[in-house]
Order: sequence, then C-alpha cells, then structure tokens
Amino acid sequence: MNKDYILGVFNDEHDLVEAFGKVKEKGILPEEVYTPYPIHEILEGMGKKTFITHAAFFYGVFAALGILGFLTYAAVFSWPLRYGGKPFNAFPSFIVVTIVATILSITLLTLFTFSARAKIFPGKVPQIMHDRATDDKFVMVLDKKKIGEKEDWVKEVITKHGVIE
Amino acid sequence: MYNSEVRGRLIEGDKSFAQISREITAPINDKTPIWWYIAFLISLVMFGIGGHAIYTTLTVGIGSWGVNNSTAWGWAIINFVWWIGIGHAGTAFSIFLLILRQKWRTAINRAAEAMTVVAVFCASLFPLMHMGRPWLFFFIFPYPNTRGPLWVNFNSPLFWDFVAISAYLLISASFWYFGMVPDFATIRDTTKSKIKKAVYGFLSFGWTGSSREWLRYEGLSFVLGGIAAVLVVSVHSIVSTDFAVSVEAGWHTTIFPPYFVVGAIFSGFAMVLTLVVLMRVLYKLNDFVTDSHIDAVCRVLIFISLIMGTAYMTEIFVAWYSGSEYEFYMFFKNRIFGDYAPQFWAMFISNAIVPQLFWFKTARRNMWIVFIISIIINIGMWFERFNIVTTSLSRDYLPSSWVSYSPTWTEVGFFIGTLGMFAAGVLLFFRFIPIIAISEIKSVAKFDKQIKNNVKHTGHE
Repeated sequence: MNKDYILGVFNDEHDLVEAFGKVKEKGILPEEVYTPYPIHEILEGMGKKTFITHAAFFYGVFAALGILGFLTYAAVFSWPLRYGGKPFNAFPSFIVVTIVATILSITLLTLFTFSARAKIFPGKVPQIMHDRATDDKFVMVLDKKKIGEKEDWVKEVITKHGVIE
Repeated sequence: MYNSEVRGRLIEGDKSFAQISREITAPINDKTPIWWYIAFLISLVMFGIGGHAIYTTLTVGIGSWGVNNSTAWGWAIINFVWWIGIGHAGTAFSIFLLILRQKWRTAINRAAEAMTVVAVFCASLFPLMHMGRPWLFFFIFPYPNTRGPLWVNFNSPLFWDFVAISAYLLISASFWYFGMVPDFATIRDTTKSKIKKAVYGFLSFGWTGSSREWLRYEGLSFVLGGIAAVLVVSVHSIVSTDFAVSVEAGWHTTIFPPYFVVGAIFSGFAMVLTLVVLMRVLYKLNDFVTDSHIDAVCRVLIFISLIMGTAYMTEIFVAWYSGSEYEFYMFFKNRIFGDYAPQFWAMFISNAIVPQLFWFKTARRNMWIVFIISIIINIGMWFERFNIVTTSLSRDYLPSSWVSYSPTWTEVGFFIGTLGMFAAGVLLFFRFIPIIAISEIKSVAKFDKQIKNNVKHTGHE
C-alpha cells in the first residue's frame, strides 16, 4: 500500500506483542505502533519516556508556594483585617484553599502539558495510518529505509502473526 | 497470573473488538427511540418550571422563598448538598476503583463521571441564586479590586466551599472529557455519517492511538487520578465545614467531615445504580453491565449503609453522652421523637435499614428491587440533608426565635428545574456520547479470555 512504510496489521494484542518483540530483537525499532488501547509492552518497548508525572509534581510545588504566598500577602500585607480575634496570618485557615487550588493548578497545567507534548489539541487534523487502529486492529508501522535488506525477514515475521497492508 | 472467579466475567459473550465498538456506539448511530423524545420533552418541561422559578428569584428576590431570619438556609442548601453528594460518586468510582485496580469499574465509570459533571453543575446553581444578587457573584473571587483592594475572608468555609466547588467542576469535567478523547476517535473512524465524522473528528482532537499518545495519556490519567482522590475527600469535607464550624446544636460536631464524605459517596453510588440499571434496560447493555457489575455496586452499598448507620448512632450517642442539653434536645426531642420525627425516621430507615436487603442475593439480582432501593436511598439522603439543615435552624438556643419553615413554590420549582436539567443532561449523554468507555472496556476484554489462551500457549511451547 504505502511506498515508504510497511504496515503490519494484527488482530489482537498478543500477536502484536510477539511480532514487536521479534522485530525489536533484531535491532529494528518500528516507527510507530497504533493500538485501540494502551499496551504496556509496546509503551516500554518503544523506548520513549514521559516526564509528565515529574512535571506535575513541580507544578504542584510551585502552585502551592504561590497560592500560600498570595493568601499571606493579601491577608497580612495588602489589607490586614481582624476576623474573630484571629491573627492576621491565620495560617491553618489557608491550608484548605491551598490544597484545593493546587490540585486545580496541577490538573490544568498537566492537561496543557499533555496537549502540547502528545500534540492532542482542538482542530488538529489526524494523520491516520490505518482507519481501524482505533477500532479493532493493532498496527505496527515500519520505515522501509531503516530496515534496509532485512525487509523480507520483517515481512515474514509479520505474516506469521498478522497481515501486511 | 492468579485469576479469581469471584467477580464473574467482565463482558458476556466472547465479543470481538469491532463488535464492542459497534454495540457501545449503537445508541449514537441508530435511530433515536421514541421514549427518548418523550423523556427529553418531560425533562425540558421540568427545566422550564425551574427557569420560571429562577426568573422569579431574580426579579422578586429571596423574599420569594420561604426562608426567614432563623431558617436562613432552606431547600436551596439542602438541594445543593444533595446534588454535590450525588456528584461525588463519579470521581469516587473512577478514582478509588482505579487505585484499587478494580477492572469492573470500566463498564460504569463513564456514566458515573457524566453524572458528576451534570450534578455538580446543578448544585452550583443553588448557592449562586441564594446570593440574592447573582450578577455580582464575581465578588467572591480574590481579585485586585478598587475597593481597597479589599480581599475576601480566607478564614471562611463559605469561601473554601466556593473554591472547592469551582475546582471540582473544572477538574471533573476535564477528567471526563480527556477520558472520552480516544472514544471520539473510535466514532470518527467507524461512523458512516459525514456530519458525525466531522463533529466527532473535531472533538477527538486529532487522536490516532499512537504509542506516543498512549504513553502520555497513561501518565496524565495517573496524575489526574492520584490528585483527584484527594479532591473526593476534601470537597465534601469542606461542604461539611459550612455547617460544623457554626455553633449550632446538631451541627457543631467533629464527626461531620467523614460523615458527609461517606454520605456523599453513598448517595452517589445509589444514583449510579439508578442510572446504570436504566442504561442497561433501555439500551440492552446486559453484556457489558452484567449481573456481577450490579452485584458489586450493591455490595459496596451494604457496606456504606452500615457506616451511615454507625454515624447516625454515634451522633445520637454523643448527644446523650456529651451532657449538652441543647444537643440532647436537638436529637431526642426534635429529631427522634419531636416535630421532625417523620423526616428523621424516613432518613434512618431509607439509609441504614432498607439497603441491608442487599445481603440477599435475590435482591441483588432482581433489577426492579435494585432500582427501587436505589431510589429509596436517594430520597433518604435528601431527608438526611433536610434533617441537618431545617431541624437545627428552626429550633435554636432562643425559643422566642423558633420558627417553622416550609418552602414556597419558587423553591420547589427550582428543585424540579434542576431535576429536569439533570435528566436532560443524562439523556443527551445517552444519545451523543459513548456511555461506556470503549477503549477501557477493550483493554479488560483479554482478562475474560486469559484462561483459554493460557491453555493454548502451553500447548505450543
């Protein structure tokens, strides 16, 4: 079908993982794998790492400090008001708002990070390699140039577990 | 891997992945049934009644409600707490069962999350309208203003509540939406209609299911799941502090935060059960929402109902044991044996006693009984909030300020309006959004086949 790519199409997770493992053993890394749901062997095998959880942690640290700083600034420095005999810096009262607003900040910032890094955003035109990859097919895409002379061997592995399209 | 047979199969009738996509998206692709139009019309009429009530509240003012100086909080706060409680289950379902690695959540979590978003939206209308001048609601935001800048009171639970509710609405909505992105892509790629392809194509944000996307998607759901778990506990604890920090007999107790959180999850799970039973019957999704799914929710309800019973008994015990005559009066002479005894016993029986019927397997397997009990719990939880709000406010420390409170038609109409809004929201959800998380249900489909596959593979090797 495609001139530059070989598309290995599999019917279930098990076949895909086996073919993927064999191809990887020979030192060939597929360009991309498209699946209807996340498969951990593939996510690990593709060698990409995500630091979204680390990013979220730092968003949380900075958001918490920022919010607590703002509450203290507003209540102690900007316009101090006595509420029911409490000191201006009524710190324990600030904890609740800090926690909730931090969670909100983490959620929104992590969503934007996800959107930017995974390139998932409103108005994006998807590059669909195989139109059943979101339905019931597991698709492995290999670049012909990178495979070189191993092409026949790769095709053999794929046809053993699935089909080539 | 160890396979236990306690839960039963997750999906009935060995379905292929294509079949799963087709059956779950059927309500979106097929012709809309007649009952849907009838139900939608009814909910729109209810919504109209609510619209009229809101119009009256806006033009006449809070004077159109039955609240007075002593009972300053009436139906509005009762319904607010009730809706927020219902809204809790969505997050509780998704998050706690995700953390506990319960695979059966996959069939139900989408419906629960949808319910959360609509319920929290309904809830937020009540405090907004109770402000009297809702067009000035932005005064609660701590923004640099020309009045000083005079900041809001950060010590007030009412401000905490505002932060908590708005954060909860935003977070649950984004959690729900990003869960749907892969499913929208599935609809985009399977539908034959060009309009649907365009609309769902836009909504799917260009999702293709590549490993790069799934990798970050997993990271995202890990982060959102982890921090939203805190939110489940915090939001209703904060709602409870609206009550618990005021020196009012029947409110001023330390049991309130856990009591409210458990109550919220209880009412929310009951509403999930109501919805899921309807979903299963109306759209014939018995293969996805199996008897064992319903069974599992019922078992959870028995447990939470026991906690509720314990909380009620604890409150009553402490009212006597504390030696405070005001507390004693509130519980024994006002609630249990007093003017508000019918409401108290309606709450106690519906929440602590009726759900115990789920101990019997026949009750858990009969959809009519399950449906009726879930409705009874919802009503019981409404009475719980009625008990808390009205009994304490109408009989405070000064007998000269004792009043009775009854809602006006405006308040009742407002409540009917939110019920209509909730129903309309749920119906739109049934019609336009995959009611079961397609990608998640596909990811657990293999666990039904595992035993069979294991045999096959050992044969090979």
